[in-house]
Amino acid sequence: MPIVVNLDVMMAKRKMSLNELSEKVDLTLANLSILKTGKAKAIRFSTLEAICKALDCQPGDILEYTKK
Amino acid sequence: MKSKTQALLLTLNVLAWLAFFGFIIKGGAILVSYGVSVRNPVGAKNLYMGWNLSALREYDFWHYSGVVYMRVLLLFLQAYIAFLVTKVLSKIKLANPFSIEVSNLMERISYFMLATWVVVMLHNSHIGWLAKTLPFMQENYISGEFIFLAGVVFVIAQVFKKGVEIQTENELTV
Repeated sequence: MPIVVNLDVMMAKRKMSLNELSEKVDLTLANLSILKTGKAKAIRFSTLEAICKALDCQPGDILEYTKK
Repeated sequence: MKSKTQALLLTLNVLAWLAFFGFIIKGGAILVSYGVSVRNPVGAKNLYMGWNLSALREYDFWHYSGVVYMRVLLLFLQAYIAFLVTKVLSKIKLANPFSIEVSNLMERISYFMLATWVVVMLHNSHIGWLAKTLPFMQENYISGEFIFLAGVVFVIAQVFKKGVEIQTENELTV
C-alpha cells in the first residue's frame, strides 16, 4: 500500500514504548501492533487524534504517502 | 437469539447428514440391484422401492444401463452437495460468520448444483426419447429446479465474499 505508517519512528523519537502508548491512547496492543506493522486497512479519526495527542505530533508525522 | 440460531444450524446440520446418508444408501441400493439385474433380469423388476425397468432391460440393455447410471450419478451428486452443506454448516461461526472458506464452499455447491441440473436434463431427455420410442416406458421425469437453486446459491456465495471483505476491513480498522 502506498500509505506508510511511521508510528515506530515517532515512538522512537518520543522514546515511548508500545505498552505506554497503548495505555495513553486506550487501544489494545494487538490493534496498535496492526497499525505499527502496516497491516491496518483504515484508521479512525478518533484513534489518529489520540495518537497525535499522546506523541505530540501531526497526522503527517505518522502517515506518509509514497509512490510505488 | 444466538442460541436459537445455533440450535437451528445444528438441526440443519443433522438434516444435511441424514440427506447425505439417504442419497448414498439409495444410490448404493440401486447399484446393487443393477449388479444383480446384469446376471438375473428379474432384478430389474424392483431396482429400488418398486422402480421397475424390466421392460426396458429386455428391450435394450445399454439404454437400461444408461438410465440406471444416470440416476445413480444424480444421487451421488446430490449426496456430495449434502456433504458440502454439512461442511458449510459446521464451519459457520456466529461470532465471525463470514469466512473465505465458507464462501468458497458455497460457490462449489452452486457449481455442483449446475452440474446436477445438466445431468437431470440429460436424464430427462433420454427418458423423453425412450417414452416416444417405446410405448411401455413410463415418463418418470426429475424436476429441474437445480438451475434456479444453483443461481440462488451462487448469488449468496458472492454476497458472502463481499461480507468477508467488509469483515476483514472492519477487523483491520484501528
